[in-house]
Amino acid sequence: MKVLLVEDDATTLDYIVKGFTEQGHNIETANDGHQGLLLATSNQYDLIILDRMLPSLGGLKLLAAVRATGNQTPVMLLSALSHVDERVKGLRAGGDDYMTKPFAFSELLVRCEKLMQRGHTQPMQTHLKAGPLEMELLTRNVTLDGQEIMLQPKEFQLLKYLMEHVNQVISRTLLFEAVWDYHFDPRTNVIDVHIAKLRRKFEELGHGELIETVRGAGYRLRQRN
Amino acid sequence: MEQNYQVSENLQSQAQHYQQLSRTVSRDKFAEQISRADSKAVLVAWKDGKSVIGALSFMPDDMPYLPKTKDFPILTTGPDKLHILTGGIVNTKYGNILIANRTDHFSAMLDKFVSASATAIMVTIIVALAMGYVFSKTILSRLTHYNRLSEEIEQGRYDTRFPLSWRNDEFDVLANQFNKVLDTLENNLMAIRGITDNIAHDLRTPLSHLRIGIEQLINQPADNIHEHCANLLEELDHCLSTFDAMLSLTRIEEGQLELERQPVSLHTICHDLQDMAEALAEMNQQKLNIELGNDYTLNADKHLLFQALFNLVDNAIKYSGENATIEIHQDGCHLKIIDNGPGIPDEFKDKVFDRLVRLDPSRHHQGTGLGLSMVKAILTRHNANISLSDNHPGLIVSIDF
Repeated sequence: MKVLLVEDDATTLDYIVKGFTEQGHNIETANDGHQGLLLATSNQYDLIILDRMLPSLGGLKLLAAVRATGNQTPVMLLSALSHVDERVKGLRAGGDDYMTKPFAFSELLVRCEKLMQRGHTQPMQTHLKAGPLEMELLTRNVTLDGQEIMLQPKEFQLLKYLMEHVNQVISRTLLFEAVWDYHFDPRTNVIDVHIAKLRRKFEELGHGELIETVRGAGYRLRQRN
Repeated sequence: MEQNYQVSENLQSQAQHYQQLSRTVSRDKFAEQISRADSKAVLVAWKDGKSVIGALSFMPDDMPYLPKTKDFPILTTGPDKLHILTGGIVNTKYGNILIANRTDHFSAMLDKFVSASATAIMVTIIVALAMGYVFSKTILSRLTHYNRLSEEIEQGRYDTRFPLSWRNDEFDVLANQFNKVLDTLENNLMAIRGITDNIAHDLRTPLSHLRIGIEQLINQPADNIHEHCANLLEELDHCLSTFDAMLSLTRIEEGQLELERQPVSLHTICHDLQDMAEALAEMNQQKLNIELGNDYTLNADKHLLFQALFNLVDNAIKYSGENATIEIHQDGCHLKIIDNGPGIPDEFKDKVFDRLVRLDPSRHHQGTGLGLSMVKAILTRHNANISLSDNHPGLIVSIDF
C-alpha cells in the first residue's frame, strides 16, 4: 500500500516510517504543509497520515484543500492537542480517524490498515478462524476445538475484533471502540474485566493462553503456526 | 432717563399745586402750608423776606425756572450727610419758591441695584466656577483613580476592583461592568493557575517514578527489561491520561469545547451502562440492577454524557464494597444511581466535585481525582443538575435533566 505521511517532527516521522516500512508499505513523506499538499494532489495514495500542526499550512487546511479537489483518500489525523476537541474538529474537517500524540505504533497501524481496507472491497467474510477458534459471523456460533462456547454479545464482539487482528497487539482503546459506540477513555478496567470473562471461558476448555496480555500495550490473540 | 422723567413730573405737579395754593390762600396760610409740607414727597423752600421757610434752610443761587431743573448738594444731619437734590424755581403769587426732590434716593437705589446685581452675577459666576471646578475635580479624580487601579491590574493584581459610590451614576455602571469582566477573568485565570499547579503536583510524582524507572533500566538484567519497560509504559500512560483529563476538564468547564449534540435516549444510555458495568460489578460480587420508567430523549453529546454517567456507576462499583447492590433508576428526565455502600459523609458531599479531592486517603484506587469534577462539568454543560443524598447506608446520586 502507498502511504503519504505529512509530519514536521523528525522523531515521530522516523518512528512511523520505520514501522510502516517494516510492515511492507511504501511510505512517502513531507515535512511541511505545502509540500504535503503538492504530493497529496499530484500522486495517488491509499492513505494520508496528516499532522494537525504543520509549518506553512495547517493540517486541517491541507485536508480541506485535498477534499476540495474531490480527492477521497482516507486521512488519519495526528494531533498533540487534547483528545475530546480533536475528534469533532478533525472528523468534521473531513478526516476519517484521528489519534492523539503520543500513541502506540501498534494502534496507529491497526487504525491505518482499517482505513486502507475501506477503499478495497473484500468479499464478505462469514467465517473467521484463528488456531483452535472458529467463528460463524452469521449464526454467531463460536467453537473452540470444535466445542461450542456461549458468549455474551459484547464478548462476541471483542473476540471478533481480536480474531480479525490475529497476532496483533490491540490496545484497550481500540477494543473499547470496537465494542461500544462511545469515544472516551474509560480509565477503568472495563475491558480487562470483559477479557477476563472471555479468557475464563477458554480456560474451561484448556485454552487460557489464547488471549495474551501485553503489558503497557493491550491484548493479542495468539495463533501458533 | 426714567428717573429724570419721574422727578420732573413730580416737580411740575408740585409747582402747579403751590401756584394754585398761592392764589387761593393768604400769605400766612401759604407760609404755614410750606413749612408743613411733607418733606418725603417734595422739599419746598420759600424765601419770605430774609428767612427761609420750608424743608430747606437756604435758597441756592442760580436755580432755573421749572420745568428746567438743576442738581444741587445739601448737607443734613442724617446718616447720609450729603444729598443731591434736583429742583427748580416756581413763581407764585407770593414770590419764588424752590421745589426740589431728592434724586440721590434713586441713584442710590440704582447704585445699590447695580451693585447687588453685579454681586449676584459675581457670586453666581464664582459659585458656578467653584462647582464646576469641584465637579470636574471629582470626575477627574475618579478617572485618575480608575486609571491607577487599571495600572494595578495591568501589573498583575487581578483581585483589584473598581469602587462603587452611592451615586449609582454612569461611572458606577461602568465600574460595575468592569468588575464583572474582572471577576470572569480572575476566575478563568484561577482555573488555569489551578491546572498548572495540579499538573505540577499530580504529574511530578508519576514523572519522577518514570525517571527512577529509566535510571534503573540501565542496571536491569536483560531478561527483565521487557517487564520493566511495560511497567514504565503503564505509568506513562496514566500520566498522559491525567494530563488529557485536565485539559479536557478545563475546556468543558469554560465552554470552549464544542459539544457534538444529537438526540440521545436515556433508555439506550442506561442499557449501555448496564452492559458495560455489569461485568465490573460481578467481579466485586456486587449486583447491578436497572429500573427504567418512561423514556426521555435529550439533545446531548452522547460520548461526554455517557462518560459522565459511566463514571458515576464506576465509582459506585469501586467504593461500595463487596456484596453491595448498585441500582440505576430512570424515569423521564430523572436518573438515580443508588448504592448501599459506606456512602459519603455530609461534610464531604459538596467537596467531592472539586478538583483533585479524593476521599480515599490511601489512594488505593488509581484515579486522577478529576472524575467527579468532569462529571459535574459535563452535566452542567448539558443543563443537568446533580445532587448527592444519603441512602442510609449508601449514596444516592440524583441527576435531573
